[in-house]
Amino acid sequence: MDYLASMGVLIGIYVILATSYNLIIGYGGLNTIAHPIFFALGAYTAALLSIETSLPAVVCIAAGIGVAVVASVALAMTTLRVSGDYLLIASLGFQLGLLQAINNLEFAGGPAGLSNIPMTFAGPARSWIWLVITAAVAALVIWLVRRSMAGPFGRAVRAMRDDEEACAALGRSLFAMKVVIFAVGCGAAGLAGGMYAYYFQYISPEQFSIAQSATILTMVVLGGIGTIWGPIVGAFVLVALPQAITFLQLPSSLVGPLQGLIFTSLVIIFLFLRPHGLVGTRLAGGVH
Amino acid sequence: MSREILRLENVSKRFGGIVVADNISLSLHAGDVLGLIGPNGAGKTSLFNLISGLVQPDAGRIFLDGTPLVGSLHRRARAGVARTWQHMRLFRSMTVLENMLVGSRNYPGESMLASIFGTTSVRDSEAGSRRRALEVLERMGLAHTANSVVVDLPFGQQKLIGLARALMNDGGCLLLDEPMAGVEGRNYETMQRIVRDEAAAGRAVCVVEHNVSFIKDLCTEAVFMSFGRILMRGSVDDLTQSRELTELYFGAAHA
Repeated sequence: MDYLASMGVLIGIYVILATSYNLIIGYGGLNTIAHPIFFALGAYTAALLSIETSLPAVVCIAAGIGVAVVASVALAMTTLRVSGDYLLIASLGFQLGLLQAINNLEFAGGPAGLSNIPMTFAGPARSWIWLVITAAVAALVIWLVRRSMAGPFGRAVRAMRDDEEACAALGRSLFAMKVVIFAVGCGAAGLAGGMYAYYFQYISPEQFSIAQSATILTMVVLGGIGTIWGPIVGAFVLVALPQAITFLQLPSSLVGPLQGLIFTSLVIIFLFLRPHGLVGTRLAGGVH
Repeated sequence: MSREILRLENVSKRFGGIVVADNISLSLHAGDVLGLIGPNGAGKTSLFNLISGLVQPDAGRIFLDGTPLVGSLHRRARAGVARTWQHMRLFRSMTVLENMLVGSRNYPGESMLASIFGTTSVRDSEAGSRRRALEVLERMGLAHTANSVVVDLPFGQQKLIGLARALMNDGGCLLLDEPMAGVEGRNYETMQRIVRDEAAAGRAVCVVEHNVSFIKDLCTEAVFMSFGRILMRGSVDDLTQSRELTELYFGAAHA
């Protein structure tokens, strides 16, 4: 049963990641692929603080959010004034460069990562307690996105996504809105990172690689980009699916490539047959 | 004479070798409906882009209500420059009402926190905007479309919604880029009536339009532009009777 709880925690963390990524690219139309690096910044900050200091977990995780937000604002300030493709390229560089740095930082464990993260809620109910916490935090993040996108802020953000110049000509400050949704989305990824580090007690650079971008993007696209339920459904399907494959008891040399094949096929199939995802409608961007 | 709303002083702009505005000076007063005519590429839309802040002039100054008009699109919109686009540029994923609500000058919901917590200022301004939007739609006879997705409406109505969205900005200056292109019948009459009402209410309206009869019916005056310069300002009749301008517009008649 612990296995189920553990999978639940992982799903919850991916729900946070996919929901916050969807806020940035689905609602905001800001094309970034650097989401895993903010996930990493949250995880590494929380992990290092927990190992090096005796600060309580909540403080370490909050610091992780802070670092992710500061880094995202720094990236936003330099790239969001110009629109579109510049952000995509800058985010790619940010993702690859920063991860490479982590890979080479001795105090961050280098390629081996960090494995001595202290235990929280030791005892038989540990996974279940974490499941409750993760579910609550995920619900809060979903509520935050839903509530902000349903109101006047979300309306202006969707207008910006549909037509930047027309939106600005109505008096909306695009730069301010972009920085805010980018910071909030990346802060949520940092939060997911801190929780991930504390629950799994082990992090390494490869968990935050560009392949993780593909996974999170697949969740958003498959579920329904620019919808509230889309990323949630996507996270469930894409965490559960690889687990289901392991039950097939295929040789491990096949499982990895098979997963990759299934993920990419899903994206291609959905883009052609159901571009609005599982839950999306023609009007992606409403609050469904 | 009525209050001056918009003034351009020696405004110039060039893109490489192309001069889109060559030392343009222009004054618009409350109640004016000024037509902007001239051949394609004369710089009519560029003039709108300069006034609304989409592009910044190389030289010259622009004033709105006596205050220098500076900064980018959103600052000028908040200062009171409302504009439409030749190709409407409506927000495709949104309803008519949502499209319009984005256009209020005062928009406290632009703060994410204020929006999430629904502060009093957000609630008040949202209620006010909603009232204003429904009033505008009512005047156009389009109240029933409020909750339709804009792209589902017929072209002529989309054109009107483009105007309706701009009217959410209650500033003094209204720039209309080819409002009549593709609009006919009842929508044509509605467009005329609304533009007339807005001018009568004290706005300064400037219209880029190829439909000469629309200009004739509506505009108090017109300006003829060519290669970024204002060649003549006068009554629409004066302009259309000028042999020189007609040749520029329609091409010289080869005898």
